[in-house]
Amino acid sequence: MPDPKKPRPAFAPWDRRELPGAFDVEETARRVGNYKWIEMRLFEALGGWVATVPELDVKMRIGTHCYKHAWHSELWHKRLPELREMNPERLTMPANDAIVEFCEAMTDAEGEDKTLEKLVGVYRVLIPHKIAAYTYHLNNTSTITDAPTIRSLKLALNDEFEDWRDGEMLIQSLIDGPEDVRRAADRQAYLEEIMVRAGGIAGPGSIGTEDVAAKAGAASVVGGA
Amino acid sequence: MKRHLSVDDLARDSRFARVDFRERFNDPRPVGGRGGAYGSDASKRGPRQLSPERPGAPDAARALMHGIFVGEIQALEGAGRTCYDFDLGRTSSDVPYELKLDMARQCWDEARHCEISVKLSEWMGTEIGEFAESTFLFEAACNPDPVLRLTGVNRALEGLAIDVFNTMREFGTVSGDPVLEFCEDWMLADEVTHVKMGSDWLRRLTADDPERLKRALEFQSVVDKLFSGGGFRGEEEDSPVRLARRFRQLAGFTEEEIDEISGLSREARREAEAMRAAVAGRN
Repeated sequence: MPDPKKPRPAFAPWDRRELPGAFDVEETARRVGNYKWIEMRLFEALGGWVATVPELDVKMRIGTHCYKHAWHSELWHKRLPELREMNPERLTMPANDAIVEFCEAMTDAEGEDKTLEKLVGVYRVLIPHKIAAYTYHLNNTSTITDAPTIRSLKLALNDEFEDWRDGEMLIQSLIDGPEDVRRAADRQAYLEEIMVRAGGIAGPGSIGTEDVAAKAGAASVVGGA
Repeated sequence: MKRHLSVDDLARDSRFARVDFRERFNDPRPVGGRGGAYGSDASKRGPRQLSPERPGAPDAARALMHGIFVGEIQALEGAGRTCYDFDLGRTSSDVPYELKLDMARQCWDEARHCEISVKLSEWMGTEIGEFAESTFLFEAACNPDPVLRLTGVNRALEGLAIDVFNTMREFGTVSGDPVLEFCEDWMLADEVTHVKMGSDWLRRLTADDPERLKRALEFQSVVDKLFSGGGFRGEEEDSPVRLARRFRQLAGFTEEEIDEISGLSREARREAEAMRAAVAGRN
């Protein structure tokens, strides 16, 4: 029988988590506030679109996805007070004006003949950018100090990947010839251009910049890794 | 993207056909379809209660199931619009963040109910669009006051859904259809949650505003009476849809509130019978 009093290392040999991370508490709170804001705009838009989409399968899928993004927003809403932001509304804000412009442009597809435009905005532009920003955050934050954010990012990313696949398959099923291909491509290009100006869902640095990389390097030195 | 849609804005594919609510409930077709079961000619109607012995019971159940299906689509659309139509805030034209979260959750539930209804309708031998759609549920979801909207939809109409699902579940039991019973049981569980959401939000949002509470409950009474449809839903032995007291209590209704709905149903039935007698007298 193993001796229960025998000293063991605090971190098991297979546990490779490290202290250093690219984001301090303030930067994490800023990003999380941006995430909550964009998740809210997305679930509101999907909810609003349900009534204006005639295709029954699309109607039911976006109704389902609406809740997932509401739940992500709630994850971020609950994380903010843990990041010293006792008034979550204060940091629930867009990263910049361009991301506001993006959301307005994404939701300007309104009529019942615009299902393809609606889906392209969400599933070929916004959700890929969310996956990118969440993945960047996941891979660069401290695996010890920021574990609660990591857990939420993983839960959200799991939904995002599933929804991305759902949405992409719906888009492919709606594209029925060269005209539809052009419509989808034009819409994607139009919205992507605005998103590029925004720098991603959390603004410039959403998926890393030289500044952020430098900070990460400094943190590594502090952490001794 | 505009806020506050009207019924005319609802998007449907080519299979769906709409009828006015009154047309649907006064459909004079004889026994065999839903209209026959609840139509205006009493001599051609079988027993009112939905039971396997009733002539045309399978068709009546299929028609009711299709009505549930289109109701679920509109419930999905209504909950979705409530996510979008209002700003966050504490004034009477705004809603709290948590209310939007509840409505988003309801979107998912209603989307699932649509899926269940499509599968169940196929099982029962019904095609999408075989029966007409009336848009009464979404009409209640167009109210610009979020409290009245939730009271009309979540308490009155989702409350009706509790009664309908309970009736259909019992019909599934007595007619030996385990698929129907299984599906209705699951949907009933969700509806109790939705009605409770409506009850909770009604109380929270009107805690300091008795006048708004009064208006909301009056709106609910109007909707409740309308959907008692000549005694379609009530506590009489032969009511086609029975008031599900136990589940309504779970959903936050008080005994007095349930008694009131029961009274409205009796009143609606008396009025319908008087109307039928007057029509018979003229003929």
